[in-house]
Amino acid sequence: MSMLNGIRLRLRSLLRRDVTEGDLNDEIRLHIELETDKNVKAGMPPGDARREAMRVFGGVEIAKEAHRDGRGTRWLDDLVADTRFAVRAMVRSPAISGAAIITLALGIGANTAIFSAIDAVILRPLPFTAPNRLVELWEENPDRGWNRAQIAPSNFFDWNDHVHAFDGTAAYADFAGSATLTGAGDPRLVGSARVTGGFFTVLGVAPEVGRSFTDDETWDNGTNVVMLSHRLWAEEFESRREIIGTTIELDGRRAEVVGVLPARFAFPGLDADVWHPTAYPKENRAKEWFRRAHFIRGFARLRDGVTAEQANAELQTVVRRLQSEYPATNTHMGAGITPLHEFLIGDTKRPLMILLGAVSLLLLIACANVGNLLLVQAAGREREVALRLALGAGRLRLVRQALTESVLLSGVGGAAGLALGWWGTRALVALRPPQLLKVHDVHMNWTVVAYVAGIATLSGLLFGIAPALWNSARAPSDALKKGGHGDLGGTRLRRWGNALVVSEVALALVLTLGAGLLVRSFMKLRSVNPGFDATGVLTLSVGLPAARYDTFPKVTAFYDELTRRARAMSGVESVGLVSQLPATGYSWSSDFSVAGRPGPAPISQVVHRAIDAGYTTAMRVPLIRGRIFNEADRDGSPMVVLINEALATKFFPGENPVGQRVTFDRVPDSASVWRTIVGVVGNERQGSIAEEAHAEFLAPYTQDKDGGLDLVVRTRDDPRAIMRPLRAIVGALDPKLAISHLRTMEEVRAESVARERFLTTLLLAFGGVGLTLAVVGVYGVMAQLVRGRIREMGIRTALGAPARSVQWIVVRHGMLLALGGVTVGVAAALFTTRALFSLLYQVDPVDLPTFAAVPLLLIAAAVAASWIPAWRASRVDPMEALRAD
Amino acid sequence: MPATPPVPSDVIRGTLELLVLKTLTLEPMHGWGISQRIQQVSSGVLEVNQGSLYPALQRLELKGWIGSDWRTTENNRRAKYYRLTAQGRRALGAETESWRRYVSMVDAILRTA
Repeated sequence: MSMLNGIRLRLRSLLRRDVTEGDLNDEIRLHIELETDKNVKAGMPPGDARREAMRVFGGVEIAKEAHRDGRGTRWLDDLVADTRFAVRAMVRSPAISGAAIITLALGIGANTAIFSAIDAVILRPLPFTAPNRLVELWEENPDRGWNRAQIAPSNFFDWNDHVHAFDGTAAYADFAGSATLTGAGDPRLVGSARVTGGFFTVLGVAPEVGRSFTDDETWDNGTNVVMLSHRLWAEEFESRREIIGTTIELDGRRAEVVGVLPARFAFPGLDADVWHPTAYPKENRAKEWFRRAHFIRGFARLRDGVTAEQANAELQTVVRRLQSEYPATNTHMGAGITPLHEFLIGDTKRPLMILLGAVSLLLLIACANVGNLLLVQAAGREREVALRLALGAGRLRLVRQALTESVLLSGVGGAAGLALGWWGTRALVALRPPQLLKVHDVHMNWTVVAYVAGIATLSGLLFGIAPALWNSARAPSDALKKGGHGDLGGTRLRRWGNALVVSEVALALVLTLGAGLLVRSFMKLRSVNPGFDATGVLTLSVGLPAARYDTFPKVTAFYDELTRRARAMSGVESVGLVSQLPATGYSWSSDFSVAGRPGPAPISQVVHRAIDAGYTTAMRVPLIRGRIFNEADRDGSPMVVLINEALATKFFPGENPVGQRVTFDRVPDSASVWRTIVGVVGNERQGSIAEEAHAEFLAPYTQDKDGGLDLVVRTRDDPRAIMRPLRAIVGALDPKLAISHLRTMEEVRAESVARERFLTTLLLAFGGVGLTLAVVGVYGVMAQLVRGRIREMGIRTALGAPARSVQWIVVRHGMLLALGGVTVGVAAALFTTRALFSLLYQVDPVDLPTFAAVPLLLIAAAVAASWIPAWRASRVDPMEALRAD
Repeated sequence: MPATPPVPSDVIRGTLELLVLKTLTLEPMHGWGISQRIQQVSSGVLEVNQGSLYPALQRLELKGWIGSDWRTTENNRRAKYYRLTAQGRRALGAETESWRRYVSMVDAILRTA
């Protein structure tokens, strides 16, 4: 009861402050009046009576204060008072507050954007049911250097049948295909994916409309069904529910729409608008190639109560049995499991964490800077603080009040940063860093807002603590004696400022060193010779629908006519066709064996592409020996093949490969196809610019009929100029074809290092801002130093010291600070830049040129920043300086 | 901190509260009335610091030992009247008891020493 009563009273005084305060006033007034009346009755004159009443009461204000303390809401009263005071202080010095808020907004804004990405990619669970029970399955083979590799379908289906720890498995092809959607307006090229029947069921994703695939649709059952993404459904079919059961035309074939996926469904790395079941022919399971070719990715849901370790142990048993049962394909073929989320985002984690590290450094630098600003401001308010101390303000109270000011500042800065970060997040998504943000759902949410509020408050406390302590730890008499003028920046103030600048320079150095390393790495990447000449080349893909281009002569006829017309265009130098552009990955690899070599061929991983006769010329890939293809290398003519230099060096050392015969089987049999090597060409980097060229076979596409081709067109001047006419040519040949990936080869090349470019750009920007902040910090401390020692400078000048020696005092100080910061920073960077190791291309994490150049740059910038105050110091008029007090 | 702390020591504070409770057993009173009554009864020996009366009243109210409401005095002035609650009455008994024990103990010590 008493506690309830107490709470009630406290609440009342909290909510109805005016009433409580008024009550107390009334009560005390009445008391004084009654006491005065009594005194008057006793014969005192009214004036004396009142005075006496007041005397007997004691201090009215003291009683009120004690009463207020008793209410238990004192802290709130103080907070309100402190905040009011802080707002006034902020408004009174708009320059300092503005600078602090902008600095903080930059730091917090950068953090907001990066954290949004981290939240979306790493922190938020995948949009599936119980996603932490999903594990990715993979194969590995030390003989072939495979690690977390694709699975051979037959192995996968055996796991599905025999590992009971799995409560359902599903597989998908991890490369997105494409299909041409016709019949609804303009032909539209859409991304397509092939998945096994259980894919959506195992993920626990229910379709928005219609049904999911069924298990028997993993195998060909004569139907052609498809599920649509929410996006395609909305954009092309007006979100009509009646679409279910009707057919759409994909690549010229009718496919029945059975379901539409919900809008929030996304599978990282598999961005498709149409989803097909795998529909493998049933007889595949009996075929050896189905266990030899590794081309699917798989995942499983763990049965309830089963741990990942138990599932893995059971999987290993099955794997060992398959190894002994199928030695031809499964020798040394291992397998393993990884949590699905980790597998899907694994390679993006490190870059994102590095970005988070960079923006954290940036925020720390911003904090040091703002701390410095506030310190200067505190020095200016020395007298005010001294007065308050002398009047009996508690030191703790002063610290609290100063912290209220800094937290308010960081609150405003945080709000501005949030706004900036909102914009930054959108910019980040718009940049679409490939392979870095595999999810599209990067946006601000309460997690992000809470994070920003957290770092803003922490920052406020961090940069506020120095001025707050400095403020409170003083003897009031000193400051009052000095009159608040003269030696404005006392020794201790200067020491605080120095410490802040040294740490700021050190942090900025770590940040810029990291950025410098990435820039060096990126420059090396840019100067790599990829083995082809990208300048002046335009490329495009044309999808030929299998339904209409159902025979091979139809396909070759189309490509022959396309290349002939393209070659005839004005400004075109040469034209070629290729199954996969360089620097975009490779589609398939295999073993091979050479005719006449004894014993089984060694295990080899060679990649394959198909080209036409014009390709190497168009891409300026040099011919090293033998010949390139010509029009005579056709379907039906003797089988020929080109090899690249890497293959020649590795597998034909000291031999002439031209004229030798090869087959793409490790153990040739009667069905093996033998091809004659007719030439050796230069190495093109197939995977990415950063990846050495793999040993490669290039076959004429006419003899290696598989999939679509990319057109490459070398122009004499601007490749963009022929974009429109080239489109027209394709349209004239077949108006129902969808054109995609119309871009210059330079763009393809740039895209191959887009992720590196993205990281480098971002880190460079952060480094630039950090460096600027540090330089501003040095400037601020130097300016303060000069202001504090203006009289000394004046005396020196008056006594005949040359301007240069006065300047040197200041510049030397700035240089010493920078040197201190650089020393600490380099020591720290020696450890931290190691985190960049896996992201650097041919650059050591402790790269000497970078570690020499960046510190020099920082010191130079610091000296430049000290120069302005130094110059001002040397121009001080001695008379004015002496009179300044 | 204010320069001269007027905060009464714990003994005096406790005593003042005890006196207030005792005073309120007679009838509800306002602050000034309470101070007059204490002075009268003690024949002026206990000079209550009138200013410290109000924080004491507030403490008692927070403990739930007294209640208050605004009434009009005989001279038509608005005043806050304090009254003893049942809880306060019980507390008074216990406090009086412990005060007596305390006094007799201090007294005993003073005699022997």
